[in-house]
Amino acid sequence: MSDQHPHVLLIEDNPGDADLVRLRLVESRSDVDVQCVDRLSAGLSRLSEQQPAVVLLDLNLPDSHGADTFRKVLSKAPGVPVVVLSGQDDEELALKAVHQGVQDYLVKGNFDSKQLARAMRYAMERQALITSLDMSRRQQLQFEDQFLSHVSHELRTPLTCIHQFTTIMLDGIAGELNGEQREHLETILRSSNQLRSMIGDLLEATRAESGKISIEPRCLVLGDVIQQAISMMKASAQEKRIGLEAAVDTGIPMVYADPERTLQALLNLLENAIKFTPAEGSVMVKACLVDADHDFAYISVADTGRGITPEARNLIFERLYQDPNSIDDSRKGLGLGLYITRELIRLHGGRIWVESQLGHGTAFTFTLPLFSMAKLLKPVIAVEGKLRDSISLITVELSPLHSSSMGNWDRDCPQCLQLLRSCILRDKDTVLPPFENSSGGELFLVVASTDEHGVKILEKRIREQLEHSQELKTGCVFQIATTELQLPSQHSGESIEQIVQRVAEVISEAAIAKIHRTGNSNSRARNIGNLSETKTN
Amino acid sequence: MSTKPKILIVDDDPDLRKGLNLRLRANHYETSYATDGFSAIAMAQKERPDLIILDIGLPAGDGFVVLDRLQQSAALSAIPVIVLTARDPQFNRERTLQAGATAFLQKPADNSELLNVIRATLNPAWPGTAGAS
Repeated sequence: MSDQHPHVLLIEDNPGDADLVRLRLVESRSDVDVQCVDRLSAGLSRLSEQQPAVVLLDLNLPDSHGADTFRKVLSKAPGVPVVVLSGQDDEELALKAVHQGVQDYLVKGNFDSKQLARAMRYAMERQALITSLDMSRRQQLQFEDQFLSHVSHELRTPLTCIHQFTTIMLDGIAGELNGEQREHLETILRSSNQLRSMIGDLLEATRAESGKISIEPRCLVLGDVIQQAISMMKASAQEKRIGLEAAVDTGIPMVYADPERTLQALLNLLENAIKFTPAEGSVMVKACLVDADHDFAYISVADTGRGITPEARNLIFERLYQDPNSIDDSRKGLGLGLYITRELIRLHGGRIWVESQLGHGTAFTFTLPLFSMAKLLKPVIAVEGKLRDSISLITVELSPLHSSSMGNWDRDCPQCLQLLRSCILRDKDTVLPPFENSSGGELFLVVASTDEHGVKILEKRIREQLEHSQELKTGCVFQIATTELQLPSQHSGESIEQIVQRVAEVISEAAIAKIHRTGNSNSRARNIGNLSETKTN
Repeated sequence: MSTKPKILIVDDDPDLRKGLNLRLRANHYETSYATDGFSAIAMAQKERPDLIILDIGLPAGDGFVVLDRLQQSAALSAIPVIVLTARDPQFNRERTLQAGATAFLQKPADNSELLNVIRATLNPAWPGTAGAS
């Protein structure tokens, strides 16, 4: 150990074992500074105050057992080396810990001071190496990202020129064209459009790699996005005489997903499907629920193309993958579309996979999480297995001012959301994703775990923030209301999940009431109604 | 007096200026142009355009500086600005809208999209599209 007075955090509940470890530590080095705690919770709070040189960790503590113990420590202090102190019969668990990021393990009662010192030194050195590798990888990704951002900007400028003047000629602004000239210009335009989307993909794929793609999930009616995607792809399907249809099961509750990213994923899959399906074929988008899975909606894009070989199926989502057997004379593209799609789905917590029969067609299926009020609310209304004392609901209804109907509504909604988020205390309150009502406004719900007094302060803060915003003031009107929620009392034998579920129902009902009051009884309101029925496991 | 709406094009690339100029004139707009941030403000003061189409990467005061100056000026702050740039929307869309732009479009923009946004910006009663980008 190179530094002065190395600080060791020992998390061990057995006083005998703790004393023994302390003794071994002092034997190997007299200046070592050992702090010993006997609960995981105490250990975690020490870790947030100060980073020790190494953590010595017993896995079976009064407040945590087994794999959970090391996972919590690793996620609390990812850069700190951990050595597990394992029982005689627990080596298997200790090995598992090593596989998941713990640096080493020692079997209790089976090591002397030299072995302990050696394990600790190696743990620290390995951890330092990992940290530095990680850092250089991050720097490299950062560089790659900046480089591509720069390159794509520089590529776009001449591309814009090509696009601009090609369309000027095609639109006859520079004079009449004959048929052949028109055909050639259309070829230029098509190619420049391809180039444009490749530049976009390149940037997007780099972002995905460096974890820079962000999503803004909200309650989303799946059918709407699917319809939007279909209507955007209709023209290119018709051009190839390919049938393009959608079948969305009725009764799918809203999903919790980013609308633009979901659209992007769907468009990527549809583009591929149309590209690899011969004329007179068909492409079908389906959305449904699956009996065995209450948490996700299943969306598939199936085509009647020539199918994908089993080998290709394993590789198809990898970066830069292109089908080597492609006999298609159309251009292959960069091989980034499916990679980006998979990353987008992953960011939502969903999965994507492919099924295919050679000669018959291919179906890509992905899942998106169903919106669950209970899941979003749980961290706010229950803390460490106990319900909070009081919960209040603040509703903010935002509607565009009629006089500026072109206004900046698309900017105002995210801004309102951002302002609301800046008002709350993150570990106590939450801003739910906005609900759209049919009169064109948005309903924002803030759930605050605070009492009558606290919620008044919060409401005042929100009001001031919204009134302060120049854009919101000129573009829209807002109404703020606060309700204190009557929390259901906990019946005997009722789990915290069940209570959370009931609170979620109360809040859903409050939201529905608001949407009804603004003169809306359409499917969206019913959809919220469905939310409370979705199960939370 | 001309009834054609006046659009000020601010871009440092001569080819892009020329192309945009041709396109806008073909759609019955009157145009003027500036090639850097400094002259953009001067032209805005002199011409009092109905709309400004603004690039971000400009010499002598970039697009953000221009937006800021326009906002500061009582006479010019009401002129709507459409930002048309090759820069990345992920880092620039929010920022330009916060700085006072009416819409953000990335180059190369579809002509129909650009013209729709221009129409909607010039005519607030136009149903629909502005800010959609």
